[in-house]
Amino acid sequence: MQKINRNAVLALLSLASLVFLLFQLCYYKFYLSQKNGSAFSKIRGSQSGQDSTRWHVVRKFLGLISSHNIPVYLIDPLILGLVDKDIEQIRSSPDGPSPECKYFCAPRDFTTFALLDKTWKHEVGLFRTAEKMGFQWLKIINKDPRLDGMDDLSGMEIPLHYIFKLASHAIHLVVFYERSGNYLWHGPLRLKQHMDRKFVPFRKLHFGRYPGAYEKPELLHVSIDDLKVQIPKNPSNFLEEMSHSRFLECRYREARAFFQLYPDDASLDAVEFRIKAKSLLHLAALTLNNLGIKFWLSSGTCLGWYRQCNVIPHSKDVDLGIFIRDYKAEIIPAFQKAGLPLKHKFGKVEDSLELSFQGEEDVKLDIFFFYEEEDHMWNGGTQAKSGKKFKYFFPKFTLCWTEFVELKVHVPCETLQYVEANYGPDWKVPVKVWDWKSSPSNVQDNGVWPVDEWDDVIQIY
Amino acid sequence: MEEWKPSPAVKPHKKRSWYLAWKYKLMNQRALRKLCQTGAVLFLLVTVIVNIKLILDTRRAAYEEEEESAQDYDDEMLNVEVPRHPVNNKKVLDVEVYSSRSKVYVAVDGTTVLEDEAREQGRGIHVIVLNQATGHVMAKRVFDTYSPHEDEAMVLFLNMVARGRILIFTIKDEGSFHLKDTAKSVLKSLGSQVAPFLSWRDMWTFVGKKGGEVYGEKHAKSPALSTWGDPVLLKTEVHLTSVEDAECHWPDTELNRRRKRFCSKVEGYGSVCSCKDPTPIEFNPDPLKDNKVFDVPVAVIAGNRPNYLYRMLRSLLSAQGVNPQMITVFIDGYYEEPMDVVELFGLSGIQHTPISIKNARVSQHYKASLTATFNLFPDAKFAVVLEEDLDISIDFFSFLSQSIHLLEEDESLYCISAWNDQGYEHTAEDPSLLYRVETMPGLGWVLRKSLYKDELEPKWPTPEKLWDWDMWMRMPEQRKGRECIIPDISRSYHFGIVGLNMNGYFHEAYFKKHKFNTVPNVQLKNVESLRKDAYETEIHRLLGEAEVLDHSKNPCEDSFVPDTEGKVYVMFIRMEQEADFTTWTQLAKCLHIWDLDVRGNHKGLWRLFRKKNHFLVVGVPASPYSSKKPSSVTPIYMEPPAKEEGAVAVPAVAAAEQT
Repeated sequence: MQKINRNAVLALLSLASLVFLLFQLCYYKFYLSQKNGSAFSKIRGSQSGQDSTRWHVVRKFLGLISSHNIPVYLIDPLILGLVDKDIEQIRSSPDGPSPECKYFCAPRDFTTFALLDKTWKHEVGLFRTAEKMGFQWLKIINKDPRLDGMDDLSGMEIPLHYIFKLASHAIHLVVFYERSGNYLWHGPLRLKQHMDRKFVPFRKLHFGRYPGAYEKPELLHVSIDDLKVQIPKNPSNFLEEMSHSRFLECRYREARAFFQLYPDDASLDAVEFRIKAKSLLHLAALTLNNLGIKFWLSSGTCLGWYRQCNVIPHSKDVDLGIFIRDYKAEIIPAFQKAGLPLKHKFGKVEDSLELSFQGEEDVKLDIFFFYEEEDHMWNGGTQAKSGKKFKYFFPKFTLCWTEFVELKVHVPCETLQYVEANYGPDWKVPVKVWDWKSSPSNVQDNGVWPVDEWDDVIQIY
Repeated sequence: MEEWKPSPAVKPHKKRSWYLAWKYKLMNQRALRKLCQTGAVLFLLVTVIVNIKLILDTRRAAYEEEEESAQDYDDEMLNVEVPRHPVNNKKVLDVEVYSSRSKVYVAVDGTTVLEDEAREQGRGIHVIVLNQATGHVMAKRVFDTYSPHEDEAMVLFLNMVARGRILIFTIKDEGSFHLKDTAKSVLKSLGSQVAPFLSWRDMWTFVGKKGGEVYGEKHAKSPALSTWGDPVLLKTEVHLTSVEDAECHWPDTELNRRRKRFCSKVEGYGSVCSCKDPTPIEFNPDPLKDNKVFDVPVAVIAGNRPNYLYRMLRSLLSAQGVNPQMITVFIDGYYEEPMDVVELFGLSGIQHTPISIKNARVSQHYKASLTATFNLFPDAKFAVVLEEDLDISIDFFSFLSQSIHLLEEDESLYCISAWNDQGYEHTAEDPSLLYRVETMPGLGWVLRKSLYKDELEPKWPTPEKLWDWDMWMRMPEQRKGRECIIPDISRSYHFGIVGLNMNGYFHEAYFKKHKFNTVPNVQLKNVESLRKDAYETEIHRLLGEAEVLDHSKNPCEDSFVPDTEGKVYVMFIRMEQEADFTTWTQLAKCLHIWDLDVRGNHKGLWRLFRKKNHFLVVGVPASPYSSKKPSSVTPIYMEPPAKEEGAVAVPAVAAAEQT
């Protein structure tokens, strides 16, 4: 009896394992078909080495958009990376046939293209044609940021991203908008509730995690892998730009709340100061951009942007920050040439450098140089009459783009920490009396300049 | 015995010999057998466990991937969809209609769709149009048929309503005094029994389907001239039809989809919703050669006058050289119908939460619209600003294309406007002629971005200042001596009668007889002579060639100007200093042109046409052109009417009217 039982158990177990094996097979099959193989692209890629599906999908897509006269350009970072290596050759033979499929056949889930919004008319026909060609498509729309700063305007939502899917490959079409400040902007990709989260593996997209800001690119018609596409003329520049393109929108809603609490100063003085500060900032940006020096809004100007999306009318100057590693000796002559004479220079390149230029009438441009340490950043201050040195500490930060008074400028991405370091937790409350030596919450005495250096480190004009 | 004993066991042993043989063989290696068995069991168990685990893992991995793939991209604002009204499958609507001296109301399925008990308002026949398939209100109108001509408007409206729609009528106060036979017979044709006999202060309600059945009618006769009929309340049921029956069967195109959406929502736009022969909603006017304004954004400033907006957009989209992509309609308030009109034409529209009141509201709406326009089109150097109550001339863009470079190059210019304040039927003649004027006419004009961004926007009047934006723009602090370019014959026509500062009388007196260009492709004359210095040369040339009129005659009389054609005449009026417009105002009054404030002047000079002759008026001695006056001529002085107070008050009030 016992023996028979044992045999039965054995048989049962074998059966169970067979069933499980079958089940497993079925499950994988189901999983594969549902994911369109995307989850296993690596395996397939290593087996085939090339993926002509992608090439075919891209070709179809290019056919689709050229039949509707929509000018798109390639911004896929992986392809542009490859293209950049051969850029000379591609430039020299823009129409030459290519012997092998080098760029569009690496198996990927996506190929990314860009579209300038103003160059097409939002025809519905495009999508109907796409459907006829077998594409499934997804449109991601959201609020128009160009109207966001405007009180009480509600426009139509604008398309930010399109995804066209065919077989196992998808085309990600990023829509770029021109914005005040002469730059291009693309929106973040955010799925609304009813949207299909499994349409494509969104996490692998190269664009859309954050909004981004770009210069208007020059384009180049090329033929790669026998496909005629437009690419940015200088792919490596584009890739460089892409790596720190993150854009922060001003906090318009909070700014409105701020003005509810503290009504804006509408006096003529305030209006005129804002006009002057704006033109000074434009001039400074032009000068520094020409020198290729990266700068950001600092101190009061940064607070103005963060708190009220505008210049604080009772601040007396415009404040910019520059990393000391970006310092160039040409800064001073360049500003002088632009009509902004040097007002004073404190410190030296090795320590606590600070420049101040005289703008129109009594508006002053202050440039603080930031020194990077292991775990923090700092900039220095100097009191002219006593030679006292001060140090202002900031937590480490990175730079993001934003739009301010119709200008594309950098601000610290970690703006809140930056502003709080500088102005303390009560930064939301406007303060009219401000002493740069004692008011900031991140200031520390830093000794005194040796008297024999004074001529060098304290220059007042 | 021992030998025999096992025999019973032998038999089965033999029977199962194959099995036993195998068993005994194994039994001989008991340890090995046990080991194998346990091993097999263990192996099987492990397989099962591994299998289960694998399945679980795969599932979790897949799930996580979904989660992760989406979580970064989830819209942070939870867009909780507003639950829509469930589609009403009910086939019958309950309709209640009330008519009385001081109050009317209409309720559909318990929802009040009209209620008017305001005093001294809403007199006449109220009409409501319902969609016969959905029961939605498609139009609401009131025709004050106590007053003349309103019945004609009602007939016009009723004729525009599509067949099959449900019409609800109710009278408030009085609706028969000027209800003429034509109107009565139209009402009769809709099925009303009572309409032909409606009389003074009767109360009346009626519900019927256009071109179909009557759902109910109630009437209360007024017993005497001094009293009203008793209030009447009509309760009835209306049977809904299917959606297919309520729609037209136009070919399925993108345009017709827009049309369908529009026509299922609103009524009263005439043939645009006609099933048989709908009027086009795309116009494709000829493109302009070398169009300099193709990329200039066009901001249409609108309120809640959807019928005006409809007419305006039709004329705008028919103008040669129009670029629909550059048009944005800014609607002051969350009104649905104007937005429906915008969508019908496939344009983009932006709604604006109203700020402040009256004139300041308009002013804030202008500011928001202009700022938004330059935000949306950051490349633009100019913006065209239009209003919803303007007809746009067919050569509007051609006019701008030929003149816009002046605005870019000549810093002494403030704007280009399509409107000539003094361009009436009898005072404007030459479509190719342009002027420079010190006033800012508005009504279809071009704004330079730098002017707006650097000067106007930062200083724009705040909401608490109840200022008119246009009056503010005309103030010397803003204008700073700059001038606008205008055509002799206006390229826009102001048709609005209902408006903030507008009424029928005012429109009739000052706008109706305005000349409006209808000639396409007018080649403008001598555009370069509009530049600051060139214009002075041009004026001196004109004055040099002009014939001085007989100053002993009355300038108001027709005979003041000889019966010639194509000549240039000049007259001199008294103008003591720059701001002395006493005589000019009197002259403007008798010439029946704009006299409410001073418009159209350039350094004390006015240019217009009389009897097809160019007619120049120079103010002496304030104008620098006074030197052209022959010494023998005494400038004409015209005295203002005696009642000083009125004369002062009127311009002040009326100055605000032209918005």
